[in-house]
This record gives sequence, C-alpha cells and structure tokens, in this order.
Amino acid sequence: MKNSVSKWLRVAAAASALSSAAFVASSASSASAAGPTYQPAHAGGTLKLLATGAGGTLDPQVNYTLQYWQLYQATYDGLVTFQKVGGTPSFTIVPDLATSLPTVSKNGLTYSFTLRKGIKFSNGQPVTVDDVKATFQRLFKVSNPNAGTWYNVIVGGPACVTTPATCTLPGLVVNAATNSVVFHLIHADAEFLDQLAVPFGSILPASTPPKDQGSTPIPGTGAYKFASYNPNTALVMTRNPYFKVWSSAAQPQGYPDTIVQTFGQTVESEVTSVENGQADWIFDPLPSDRLQQVSTKYAKDVHVHTLTADWYLPMNMNIAPFNNLKARQAVNYAIDKNAAVTLDGGVQLATPTCTILPPNFPGHVNACVYNKGNGSTYAGPDLAKAKALVKASGTFGEKVAVVSQNDPVDANIGQYVVSVLNSIGYKATLKPLSQNIQFNYIQDSNNHVQISLTQWFQDYPAASDFINVLLSCANFHKGSPNSINISGMCVPSIDAKIHQAENLMITNPTAANKLWGQLDTQIMAQQAPWVPLFNPKLVDFTSSRVGNYQFSLEFYMYVDQLWVK
Amino acid sequence: MFTFVVRRLVSAILVMFSISVMVFLIFFATPGVNPAARIAGRSASPQVLAQVSAEFGLNRPLPIRYGLMMWHLFIKQDLTSYVNIGVRVIPQITGAAPVTLSLVLGAAVIWLIVGVAGGLVAAANRGKWVDPLIMFGGIAAVSIPVFWLGQVVGLLTQTKFHSVFQWLPGSGYVSFTQSPGQWALHLLLPWFTLATLYAGVYARVLRAELVNAMNEDYVRTARAKGLSERRILMRHALRCSLISVVSLFGLDFGSLVGGAALLTEVVFGLPGIGMLTYTSLQNLDLPVIMAAVMYGAFFIVLASAVVDVLYAVLDPRVRVVK
Repeated sequence: MKNSVSKWLRVAAAASALSSAAFVASSASSASAAGPTYQPAHAGGTLKLLATGAGGTLDPQVNYTLQYWQLYQATYDGLVTFQKVGGTPSFTIVPDLATSLPTVSKNGLTYSFTLRKGIKFSNGQPVTVDDVKATFQRLFKVSNPNAGTWYNVIVGGPACVTTPATCTLPGLVVNAATNSVVFHLIHADAEFLDQLAVPFGSILPASTPPKDQGSTPIPGTGAYKFASYNPNTALVMTRNPYFKVWSSAAQPQGYPDTIVQTFGQTVESEVTSVENGQADWIFDPLPSDRLQQVSTKYAKDVHVHTLTADWYLPMNMNIAPFNNLKARQAVNYAIDKNAAVTLDGGVQLATPTCTILPPNFPGHVNACVYNKGNGSTYAGPDLAKAKALVKASGTFGEKVAVVSQNDPVDANIGQYVVSVLNSIGYKATLKPLSQNIQFNYIQDSNNHVQISLTQWFQDYPAASDFINVLLSCANFHKGSPNSINISGMCVPSIDAKIHQAENLMITNPTAANKLWGQLDTQIMAQQAPWVPLFNPKLVDFTSSRVGNYQFSLEFYMYVDQLWVK
Repeated sequence: MFTFVVRRLVSAILVMFSISVMVFLIFFATPGVNPAARIAGRSASPQVLAQVSAEFGLNRPLPIRYGLMMWHLFIKQDLTSYVNIGVRVIPQITGAAPVTLSLVLGAAVIWLIVGVAGGLVAAANRGKWVDPLIMFGGIAAVSIPVFWLGQVVGLLTQTKFHSVFQWLPGSGYVSFTQSPGQWALHLLLPWFTLATLYAGVYARVLRAELVNAMNEDYVRTARAKGLSERRILMRHALRCSLISVVSLFGLDFGSLVGGAALLTEVVFGLPGIGMLTYTSLQNLDLPVIMAAVMYGAFFIVLASAVVDVLYAVLDPRVRVVK
C-alpha cells in the first residue's frame, strides 16, 4: 500500500449492489478444497511484525484499515469468509461459522444459514444464534462505517441507521432450537455475501458493549486472540485456547505461538531490522531507495503482488475548467502514465492503466481510450491531440490547482501533473496537503478542488465497488467531506446502466460483468471523469527464517500461516 | 518566596491557556481536518457521519468544544484519542514520560561530564594546541543535526558494521524494570547521539565563562594569596562559571523532558513524549497533540521557575538585587 495515511482509508467501501457472484457460485465446489495440510513440525515460536504506527481501534466492527483486517483473519470469523488460500481462489467465499453457504430465495430477498454447533469464543462461551443477532444490531450501534451504505439493506436497517440506540433489526430472524439464521433484505443485493465475509461481519459475543471498544480486545472465534494492545507500543496475539479446526479453508490452524506487531520505528530502521533478522516482516511500504538493495540482496525473501487498486486523478466535473468534456479528455491524452509509474518507484511497484476496473478484477476489459495510436494496451501520451482539445474546449490559459498529498511520491507525481498541465496551455500550481487532511479535503465540494491525486483499494471483488461507489449519483454528497464520488459525476443515463448491471449481477453474473466492462469503457470515452494512472504493487519483505508465505488477493499475506520454525 | 511562587503559577496558567487556545483554533481552522469524517470511514453515509459528529461532540460550537476538551483533559482526566478510539490520553503521556526521562537523564549525565571536562581542559590550556582542538570539536558537535547523526550511527552499527556491533539491539525500548541491562543497551546510542550537541554547547559556554572569570578580581586575590592555578580554577573560577551552565541546563533539561528530544526518539524508535507528539501530529490526533503540548509547556515553565530559584541560591548578587 502506498502511503501511511491510507492506513485508515485504504480499504475501500461501497454502496449497495453487486458482487462477484461468479466467485461465490464457484465456491460450493471449492469449499472443500482446503489449503495445504498442516505441518506440526513448523508450529511454535514468535512472529515479529513491524509497523510505523498502530491502526486505530481494535474493534472489528469499526476498524476499516487493511493493517488490522489482515490480522482479523486469524482472530475472527463471520458466517462466511473469503477462502484462506493463496492466489485467485482467495476471492472465493466459503462457509465459516455457518455450516454451508446460504440458501437464497428465488427473489434474492432471503438468505438462510445454519450456525455450526460446538464453536467457542476465546473467552470460553459457546457461539449461539443470539450472538449473531446481537452482532448485527451492534453494527449499527457502533456507527459501523458502512452501516448506512451496506447493512441497511437488511429489513429494519434504515431505522437502525436513524436511531441506533433502539435498533432491533427485525429483518434478522434467529431460532435457537434449529440454530437457523435468516436475513430478510429490502431488495436483492448481489454483494450481500461479500459484505458478510469482510471483518465487519465478524460474530462477537452478545455481551460485547454496544460502543466502539477501542483498544480493549473483543473475544473472537479464530485460531488466535488479541492478548494485549497498546497503540503506542505493540499488539500481541496468542493462541485461542478454545479453538479447534472446523474448516481449514475458513479458519486454518496457525503456526506461530505468538504474533507481535510492534509500533514506532521509522520504516528505514524496520527494513534494517528485517535484514538483520531482528524482525520478520514490515507492514509499511518499502522506501523506494531501499528497494533496489532489498530486492537484489534478499531476492528470495521479497514477494511482489499487483493489487486490485487504482491510483488516479479525479477531475471535478462541476467546476471550470473540468466541467468541459474536451478539457478532461485533453488531460487524459496528455498525462504520461509511464512517467507516473517511474515516480512511484518504477515497474517493480506499479503498472500503467487506462481503465477504472483493475486487471484480474471481475468485469475488467483491456481497453485504452486515450492512447498514442489505437491499441488497447497503453503506449504513451498524445500531446498534439491534447493541445488541440484544450484549444477546442475554450479553456486555454485557465488556472488549475492540483491537490496532492505531501509525501515525496505523491508530491512528485503532483508536480509532474502540474508540468503537463502547463505544457498543454493551463496555468497550473501544486497544492500539497498533509496526508491525513488531503483525502477528506478533496471530497468536499466546498473546497472547489479542480483536480487531485488519490487512490482506491477494493473492499471485495465486485465491479460495483469501483464503478458504483466512485462514480454514481448516490455517492456524491455536495458540501460533505465524505463524498467518495470525488469527480462529482452524476449522469442519469450512466446511473441507469449501473443499476441495470447491479440487478443483472443477481441473476446472471457473467452477463453483468460484461456490462460492467462496457460501462468502464463507456464512462472513460463519454465522460472521462478521471485519469487512471496505475495499479500499484505490494512488496512484502520477510526475514530469512520465515517460511510458508501465502498471499490472499483480498486480505494480503496470511500472518498466521508463516513459519518461524 | 510566596509571591514569587504565586506569580509563577499564574503566569504558567496564562501561558498554558493561550497555548491550548492556539493549538485548538489552528486545528479546527485547518480545512479538511474534520475528525468526524475520518472516524466515520471512507464511504460513510451522511447519517453515520452525523452520528459520529454527535458522539464526539463535534457538532457543537467551538467554545463549548474547547471547554469540554479541557474538562475531560484536566478535571475528569478521561479524554480519549480521535484516532486510537477509546485510548485515554493521560495514560499515554504517563506511559511515554519514563522513556523520555530515561533518555534525557542518561544523555544529561554524558553531556555534563563531557561538556564540563571539555570546558575545563580548554580553559586550563588556553593558548596551547589543546584549546582550539576542543573548541573545534565543540563546534562540530553543535553543527551536526541530531537526526542525521542518529541515522548514520544506526546505519553504521546496524548495517555496515553489523557483524562487529551484533551485541547492540535494534531500535526500540525496553523498560528499566523489565531488564536494566537491556534498558541501558537500547539507550546507549540514543544517549550519546542526544548528548553530542549539548556537550559541544556546554564546553564552549563553560570555557568562555572560565576565561572571563580568570580575569576577575577575586581570582587575582586568590593568586595573591599564593593558591595554585589548579585550585583557583577548580574551587573559585569554576563555581562562579557554573551559574550560567546551571541555568542553561535547567532550560535544556526542561524542554527535552517536555518533548524536545523528538528527533532522537523518532530516529531510534523510542516511544517517548517526542514520539507521541510526532505520531499525533502525523495523525492529526488533536486530544493527544493537546495533551503533549500542555505537558511540554508545563515542563518548560516549571524548568524556568526552578532555574530562577537555583540562580538566586547560587549567586548571592541576584538575591541582593531583588
């Protein structure tokens, strides 16, 4: 992940709709395909992880950082989860605390689960259907980040969003005698299972107070439990004494006896610690000046993965000059994505992209509307076309401020964008802002941001998590710092198509993903709300004693599967 | 003495009040800083945003917000962080203070010994080659930025010559109660790194004071009495020259304990007050910034008061004038 700010924000969020039903559909067959066999010889030891800073609250129903979502994989379980295996199958949803994937009614409005028996929380209490019910009520009571965008699809959800204190959630019906858990939805939602599979859907004891628990660990059902947490020093995970494997695809047995994530070192000294074997892995992105040394000297301990994420330049479609389509198209032609990749650290760290949906993502089609030549693979900028479009748009000579974050990589890319805008006829300046401020600043339409540099990381593998979340009318809130449709794009004909694709996803995921792909190209060609720059890569650097590295596309490296013995 | 203490206390409260108001206003005047937007999450709906605002009292007028923050910080002492939700601010400060104190105390011992010895030797050898050599060393020590020195020391011991320095642990902190040996080992390099600058300053200041003192009347009297040069330097000139060193030390020590050792703490990954200030600034965590700034301001005000008292104790002339 690119920068430390996005620790809060880096995992994306979505409004209603769609999912990787294609992946879900295939899961029934692969559910039994568990990961590799457990090797007791490698069990034991202490895994030492490093991060420059803590990830905020430890409450899985509130925390929205990849830093802790990664750790929750070993500590909490939902009714369903993303399969714990490496590579593309990690996008597959499998049953976890539920005995099987749910039975979904024909109209898509009812999801019926049966809860497994005999599972205990790390405090020794058995997991019951009452815990499930309380968990989903608590989601609203703790103001879960997506309570009003995802979980309000459950009958009674909207009332829970308005008055959380009195939330009863009548749409979730449980029966202790049969251990059944039935969700009734307001409308069919192809992404509902994905939303149950992320850590927000972790089942917690009913006795958990309905308030963000902050640094107090909440008991879970995973192979590990959080033993202690001090955001200024360390987070410690130890084995959950009540854990027994019920499905190694959902919650495998872990290897280290203790997992410690220590906070407070600079990223440079973290790298040195891993090189010297004083620590095993660092959470933060490797500094680009150490990358060369690390990747040549410790090649076998470096693991590189392309992420399903975008770095992009959203242009504000509601104010000059980018309320003019030709102006937006001109910028798309002018920016050299390869230059942006170089500034990010080179091809080792990023791949240029022309589309909204990242490669290897449902719905992605290889296309490049604004390109040198007519190829579908990016070949370079076309400055002549860009200059002509600026002239034709009548925006030549207008002032443009580029708002980027102030860390070196972001500011350098921002500076590059400024130079390109100047070269095609604008009077551009750079406005670098602190990492923590910039993200909410560029969303707020009161700040009149014309063009900015930002990133989006997926929540789960669904095209709507990009197109619907980032470009639909519903996600543009005028004058609010939480308005994730940063371009402010609201085109009724495209919105209608987004809804069509979402609905089609429920019945025919293949056709729906084809439609999403068409939408991606259509939005870029007809609206050009952004300049997609590149898809970032993640570089994991582990110590030489570590073995059994496995990478999930959804939650990244499985910390509990690493061997330190 | 009583009026002196009361006057000090009132001025301390005034200083801390104005600093807190400034920190508060600068924070909320910054566009894009809305803590509720960040707490609510990346794609929170407007209702969820409104609930979070209400829960943290962020929808109330600024003066009330300020009053509430001060009430929770000083009276109820249960102010919590905006970033690490539920984590109280005061235990963070009390947890970080011993780390900073360990760092500053150890470094102070080193810089006092090296600085005073350097100043003495240079003054005693005035006109010989040793004097300019020590003074050059002092200038060099003052000129080296502490973050650079810390990084280079880290680079040499942890990377380039790691095989030689394997007995040195990596960055971080181990508390004294946990293991006194590891505590000292972890702090060894930070102590020397932090002490370098101050040792240079103190050596130079002390030498200048000693050279001045050696020309004073009481030194001439001592010489006339037939005392040895060494006795004059150590017993008479040094005592008087230490006055300015003591006042300097008080202020330096106060500001370092209050968080001015930030760069050293960050470079060596020591979770002290400076590091806490640094991370809270990075995260724009107002409650922690506020508490850290108040803590630092308190120590600086306290240190300057102690210095004033000590000054009066050491130098009778100050008392007479008063």
